[in-house]
Amino acid sequence: MNKTLYGRELKKSWRLLVIFAAVLTMYIVMIVSMYDPEMAQAIDKFQELMPELMAAVGMTGNSDSLAGFLVSYLYGMILLVFPMVYTIIRANGLVAGYVERGSMACLLAAPVRRTTVACTQLLVLLTGEVLLLGYCTALECAAAELMFPGELELSCLLGLNLGLLCLQLLIAGICFFFSCLWSDTRYSLAFGAGIPVVMYVLQMLSNMGGKLEGVRYATFFSLFRPQDWIDGSSAAWWGALALAVGAALLYAGGIAVFARKDLQL
Amino acid sequence: MHVIEISDLTRDYGQGKGIFRLSFTIEEGEVFGFLGPNGAGKTTTIRHLMGFLRPRQGSCTIRGMDCWRQAEQIQKDLGYIPGELALFEEMDGREDLTFLQRYRGMTNAGRAPELMERFELDPRGKIKKMSKGMKQKLGIVAAFMHSPRTLILDEPTSGLDPLMQNRFVELIREEKQRGATILMSSHMFEEVERTCDRIGIIRAGHLVALDSTQALRQRHVRSYTVTLESDAAAAAFARDFGGQAQGNQATVCVRRSLEEIFLEQYGQEVKE
Repeated sequence: MNKTLYGRELKKSWRLLVIFAAVLTMYIVMIVSMYDPEMAQAIDKFQELMPELMAAVGMTGNSDSLAGFLVSYLYGMILLVFPMVYTIIRANGLVAGYVERGSMACLLAAPVRRTTVACTQLLVLLTGEVLLLGYCTALECAAAELMFPGELELSCLLGLNLGLLCLQLLIAGICFFFSCLWSDTRYSLAFGAGIPVVMYVLQMLSNMGGKLEGVRYATFFSLFRPQDWIDGSSAAWWGALALAVGAALLYAGGIAVFARKDLQL
Repeated sequence: MHVIEISDLTRDYGQGKGIFRLSFTIEEGEVFGFLGPNGAGKTTTIRHLMGFLRPRQGSCTIRGMDCWRQAEQIQKDLGYIPGELALFEEMDGREDLTFLQRYRGMTNAGRAPELMERFELDPRGKIKKMSKGMKQKLGIVAAFMHSPRTLILDEPTSGLDPLMQNRFVELIREEKQRGATILMSSHMFEEVERTCDRIGIIRAGHLVALDSTQALRQRHVRSYTVTLESDAAAAAFARDFGGQAQGNQATVCVRRSLEEIFLEQYGQEVKE
C-alpha cells in the first residue's frame, strides 16, 4: 500500500461518504422512531393486502420485535442499495477512471508497482465500506437505545450487519474487478453497476415468492438472509462465508488483471 | 552497457498500425531525438519503455532492467513527460507536486522550486483551469524534480511559447552536462537540431533513419559544379556562395536544413 495515495483517495471518498451517511442517518432514525408494536400490526395488514409488493422490498414476516421491524424496513432495500451505489461510484473512479483520463500514467511513472496501486485503491474502497456500515451500526444501536432501551439485542444487530458487510464486500469485489478489467468507464460502469443491479432485481423477484422463488438461486443477494441472523441459524454464517470468499477471489482477480494488462496511457 | 536498448520490438495493431521489428540503442549521456509523423509509432515505443505495454515480441530494457517486469525499479531513476499530459485535474499545482513527491518517496521538494522559477510557473490554482502551457510546465517540473539519470520525453515542449521552449533547450543541455541520458520525441526541428546528438526517424512503425545529427546533415549535402566563362568569374562566384574555385569552375555546396530532411523522410511513403 502507498500511504500517500491512500490518504489522497480517502480525502476524495470523504465527501461522498458524508452524503451517504447523512441520507442513511435520516432513514435509520426515522425508521427506528417509527417502531411501535401497534404500528407493526398495521404493517401486517398491508402485508395481507398486497403480499407480493411488500415482499419484493423485503418486508416479510415478524415485525413484532424491533430487530424484525428493522429487517423489514432497512435490510430489504435501504441498507442494500445505498452502500451499493456508493461502491459503484467510488470503485469506478478508483481504477478505470484514472486509466480513462490518462492520469494513471502519473501514478505508474513512479517507483510504485501496479499491484501496489491496485491494492491501495482497493483498500480505499473497503475502508469507505467499513466506515459507512460501522457508522450505520453505531447509529442503529444509539437510536434504539435512546428511543426503546433494551429492545434491541446488540449481538443480533452485530451479526446482521456483519452479514450485510459481507454482501457489500462482494459487491465491492464485482465493481473493483470490472474497474480493473476495463480501461473505459462506460464498460466498467456497465458491468460494475449492471451486475449488482440485475442481481438485486432478481432478489426482489424471488422475494415475491410463488413460482419465482427459484430465482433466488441465481442471485448472490440471497446469500444474505437477515431473518437467518435474527433466528441465529448457522445458514447465516455459511452465507456470509460464501460472500466473503467470493469477494476475496474478485479482489485477487482484479489486482492480477490490472498488473498484467496493457495500458494505452 | 546501453542505457536504453530496444531489440526486435514488435506490436502489431493491424492495418499497418503499430511498430515492427524496431531495434536501436541509446548510450550513456546521449540525447536521442525520436522523430516521425503522427501515428508512426513513437508513443507506442515509449509506452513499452515505460512498462505500460507488454512486449508481444522482442524486448526493451533500461539500464539492463526489463521494462515490463522491472518497471518499478526503472522508475526510481527515470523522468517522464507523457505526450498527452493528464494530470490530477482536481488538485491545484502545488498539491499535485507535493503529492507526487511524497508518492515517489522523496524526502524533500528536490529541484521543484528551482524549476518552477526557471519556467516561471505559478502553481497556484486548480489544474483544471490552467492553460495548456501551464500544465506542460507542471509536467516538466514533475519529470525533472527528482534529478533522474534517464529521461523519456514525449513532445516535451508542446504548448510552450518560444521563450519557454528556449529555456527548455537550455535545461536539456544542462541535463546532458550532468550526464543524463535522454530520449526525446519532438516535432520542433530546431529544438531537435539544437539538443540531440543522434536522431532516429520512425515511419509506419519502421525505423527509416538512424544516425548522428551531424552525419544526417552531411549525408544530405548536395554539391554543384558550375563552369563559368573565366577564372575570375569563377573565383567571384565561389566567393559569393561560399564554394571553391578551380580554374573556370566553381563548386558550391547546398546544405539542406534538418527540416527539409525530415520532411523528405516523412513524406517518402506518399511518393512510393
